Amino acid sequence: MNKIIKVLTESRWFSSLLFLIALFLITGAINPTFLSYGNIITCFNSSIVFILLAVGISFVIMTGEIDVSIGSTMGLSAAIAGSIAQQNGSWVMMVVYAILLGLAVGFVNGVGVAILKVPSLIFTLGTYGIVRGLVYIYSGGRTVENFSGAFTRFSNSTVGNTGIGIYLLIVTVIVLIINVVETKTRQGKYFLAVGDNYDGAILVGIPAKRTKLIAYILCGIFAAISGIAFSSKYGQVTIIAGSGYEMSAIAACVLGGISLSGGLGNVIGAAIGAVIMSSISRLLVFLGFSSEYDNTITGILLITIVVLDSLLRQRNVENARRERLIARSCSKKEIRKGHSQE
Amino acid sequence: MKNKLTNIFKNWEFTLLAILILEFVIFGSINPKFFRIASIFSNINNYISICIISLFVTFVMITGGIDIQASSIVGLTSITIGVLWNDAGLNIWMAVAIAVLLAAFCGALSGFFIAYCHVQPMVVTLGGSFLYSGLAQVISNFSKIPAYQGISGFPGKNANGDYISFRFLGKAKLFDLIPIQIVIYLILIILCYVLLHQSKYGRRIFLVGDNPKAAEYSGINSRLIIFSTYVLTGIGAAIAGILLTAQVDSAKYNLGSTFTLSIITAVVLGGTLTSGGKGSVIGTALAALVICLLRFGLTLCFNISSQNLDLPVGIMLILVVSLRQINRIVHHLD
Amino acid sequence: METGESKKLLSIRGITKAFGQNLVLKGVDMDLCGGEILALIGGNGAGKSTLMKIIMGIYQPDAGCIFINGKEVQIINPSVALEECVYMVPQEPMLFPNMSVFENIIMGFHESNATLKARLQEIMADIGWQMDLTRKAITLSIAEQTLVEILRGLMRNAKILILDEPTSALTFDEVESFFRVVKELKNKGIGIIYITHRLNEVFEIASHVMIMRDGVITLGGPVEKFTREMLVRGLLPVDAEHKVENGSVHAAIDYEHLEPAFELKDFCGYGFNDISLKVYPGEVLGVAGVVGAGRTELVSTVFGRDKSLGGKVYLDGKEITGFSTAKILEAGINYVPEDRHYHGLFCISTIAANTTSALLPTPEMGNFILDTKNEYSITQRFIDLFRIKVIDQKQTASSLSGGNQQKVVISRALSTEPKMVIMDEPTRGIDAVARGDVYNIIHQLREKGVAVLLVSSDIEEIVQLSDRVVTVFQGRINGEFSKDEITVDNLTIASFGLTKDEAMV
Repeated sequence: MNKIIKVLTESRWFSSLLFLIALFLITGAINPTFLSYGNIITCFNSSIVFILLAVGISFVIMTGEIDVSIGSTMGLSAAIAGSIAQQNGSWVMMVVYAILLGLAVGFVNGVGVAILKVPSLIFTLGTYGIVRGLVYIYSGGRTVENFSGAFTRFSNSTVGNTGIGIYLLIVTVIVLIINVVETKTRQGKYFLAVGDNYDGAILVGIPAKRTKLIAYILCGIFAAISGIAFSSKYGQVTIIAGSGYEMSAIAACVLGGISLSGGLGNVIGAAIGAVIMSSISRLLVFLGFSSEYDNTITGILLITIVVLDSLLRQRNVENARRERLIARSCSKKEIRKGHSQE
Repeated sequence: MKNKLTNIFKNWEFTLLAILILEFVIFGSINPKFFRIASIFSNINNYISICIISLFVTFVMITGGIDIQASSIVGLTSITIGVLWNDAGLNIWMAVAIAVLLAAFCGALSGFFIAYCHVQPMVVTLGGSFLYSGLAQVISNFSKIPAYQGISGFPGKNANGDYISFRFLGKAKLFDLIPIQIVIYLILIILCYVLLHQSKYGRRIFLVGDNPKAAEYSGINSRLIIFSTYVLTGIGAAIAGILLTAQVDSAKYNLGSTFTLSIITAVVLGGTLTSGGKGSVIGTALAALVICLLRFGLTLCFNISSQNLDLPVGIMLILVVSLRQINRIVHHLD
Repeated sequence: METGESKKLLSIRGITKAFGQNLVLKGVDMDLCGGEILALIGGNGAGKSTLMKIIMGIYQPDAGCIFINGKEVQIINPSVALEECVYMVPQEPMLFPNMSVFENIIMGFHESNATLKARLQEIMADIGWQMDLTRKAITLSIAEQTLVEILRGLMRNAKILILDEPTSALTFDEVESFFRVVKELKNKGIGIIYITHRLNEVFEIASHVMIMRDGVITLGGPVEKFTREMLVRGLLPVDAEHKVENGSVHAAIDYEHLEPAFELKDFCGYGFNDISLKVYPGEVLGVAGVVGAGRTELVSTVFGRDKSLGGKVYLDGKEITGFSTAKILEAGINYVPEDRHYHGLFCISTIAANTTSALLPTPEMGNFILDTKNEYSITQRFIDLFRIKVIDQKQTASSLSGGNQQKVVISRALSTEPKMVIMDEPTRGIDAVARGDVYNIIHQLREKGVAVLLVSSDIEEIVQLSDRVVTVFQGRINGEFSKDEITVDNLTIASFGLTKDEAMV
């Protein structure tokens, strides 16, 4: 039991979870109508797109890199899924195309960043533009709409009477599986190791380049899959679909305790951060704020959290350093009496 | 001879100049209308906000930081001017002054967290981009005029149909040819060049970006320097916002919201290292020009609509940086 | 003579490696047998670390082959090296800051956590090192990090173990127990390559020695066949024209008629307590002590890099306690930092920018616009004065050799014409010729009446250069020595916290 408590308090995602709960409670305190099972479950249900994006990009961020192309990848995949849905095509096809697209974009990003060593912000900036252009070309400049009803209805379907969306269930299972792989398997730990100390990882035999490449491929695939959820949820895909989502996904990871410099964080944190990000507008409605305050509140939240987190960490490191120095200069350590005794 | 060529290409600005000349040659030969000065100017004009802001973001990136909130400040400036002039009844230039101060303050706020609290620039300016665009939205609701419509009717047209006062900034043309924004941009290039490459302040920026610890050991106040660069980008975004508002005669909260990645592209293409310590105003300006002309040429010669232009710009960026890296790897420089 | 038939554990033939235009290794041959401790010594830039990184698979050679147990191997990455039972403990610890000590040690292993934990505890009991396995690596001191790196090496059951300056951050006790373990490994038949700058370690622990200079092995063989002088001579280039001035050539300092240029009274801070000392103009005050004694913390706090906790600082009689770095520079103190790469050098900036970086606030460098003409002449003055080898002032600092880089850092420290200059390990990691140049610079400073505070872990250097010496032990001054009392023995004894009587037991 002690071990569980210790693991929890040391996990950054736990603080994010507490923060999420606090947000819910505060909203409930100000407006008690919020605290219903239906409302809370809706918060989770409607965060699917963000969760998938955040989980995908968390791999890349943990290795110490970034990917700003995920919004475009999501948009393209959504457009493809939408046009398949227009013709009443099958799920399988959507998923296959999504995986192929995600793999392709992720592979290109991975080669550029991990193999060619182009700074990740710059390279993924390029793919952002390219894929965004592809969205326009693919959709012919028009909104993709008129999907089959079954497709869009599916985003609302739930498990029996629990109100838990099928998407939510699938995503939760995926997140839990990933968490186990990341924390328990040897290869799973490589992501954090590579982000924590790239050269150190190479020295102990970790295939660092390959790890980053895999991270980008996973990121691309998740972004593409999120496109399917996106088009299922909204029923239409405009030509600018996905624009700006990359920033929200990054913000979600930050809120979930994942450090942008790499080496710190957990996929559960990414998921929780995503729920926080997508719930903000809903919470603000219950608090009486109209939707125009969304961005302001999100911004204040983000800045406050990262500043506090940074200040705390720095204070801890600085205090540890100072204690060490003081200990060194006051210690009464016994010294062996020199060489002459041997 | 080969050595001389490689030496020239080692100077990145020359490479950009070469690409520029290449663009003229290729696009010009396909469609001679490319050479029409008026069209070139008008095209650059459309992109001028990005050109201006990227000059200042160069300062930030040389210190090793990044600024993704500048585009939000553009909209914030615009709507502040609109609301202050239209709804609060302030004199237009008063409104402009207050808006600039507000923009500088936004830059300062983020700069403070980055420089003095040592928070990562990407995260702070990410939060800033949400916050300042959100603020712009909130301010726009203080106006009687609905947000999506935008405030218009700014002062500036006299009886002769000439542009004066505020709208002068947006529509006037020097010698009836060069748009005033481009003139202002040129002035800003000169100012930024002097500030970054010739002044002691600029030298401090390079040193702080190269090694902030060594800068401290040299008595340089690294934190103040880093802080100041974000104030500069705030002001740069404000200038862009003013010019844009004057040009389109509309104050909207979401003006400039799509600029961020283009700004970063221009700075990076201009030769600035994301790790800091290296960069150039001329490089950024040339890169912005290269991107402008690319967009113009593609639209003119191949009839590609403006939405599609992200694709070739993205391809160019990737090609350029990948080739740069491959060159380093081949020469064992990594 | 070894039995001619025994397969050498590790054989290297003709290894060549260039970085860009820079040819670092020019055909290296080396042999290592099991049960040998091969000390590899050489100046900075000689190529030792590069060679080790090639063996470890971090770099690939341009030419040459590596044989392990008689079989040629292509070590394309560290995984291959690890499979061949090679392990390198790096010079700078490369731990994962956000992981615990335990996770750091087991990262990359294939066995179960339980097995690994048991083995680790066995090893730690063997050595007698205590360490909290749950601490995050970021909270460890450099010494503790080094210990963790060494533990990693021991866990690996490596047959070939490379130790790259492992003792530079360790205390005396830790070094002793470390040597014990290394000797045990040697007895188990493991081949060890031991890189060090400390010649006394060579004689204490190594069975063989090899000297590397300018990318080739110049001298080598069993340790019994060498003396210190032979090793030192082997390290100097053939055409060493500079004779290092002998300490006895110093003009005596007339302390009676001088006021101290710099004074500390009961100065306390993080890592040191109750420090009181005086430095007179034209003298070199040596500050000796072991690594971790608190000397660098002392001088960097004086320089304004950390908060002080009490006491006073005086320069030329005026109080400067608590001044910021900029004000300290203005007052007339400058500092050559201990680690030139982290704190001293602007690597991608030009030499001119490096040299004049501390002068920026002065009107010499212009009022608003940078006075590039003045910058050029100031930089050129130092280049000529210190014989810094450059092609052009516009060269980037990183393209210079270690010795020339250090001269640039020293130039910057002297550019502000300080009344006192603090030098912290000024000859660390530079070759013998450059070291001679630095010593000459220090002599010139003495003659000009500048006060010099010299912090160094090289006791001989302190003996050679200082007019007076203080020794620091665990953050306090435990000895003061005047000119006649400065001997290697005296200083060594005091550095380790002993008194003469204790040492003579």
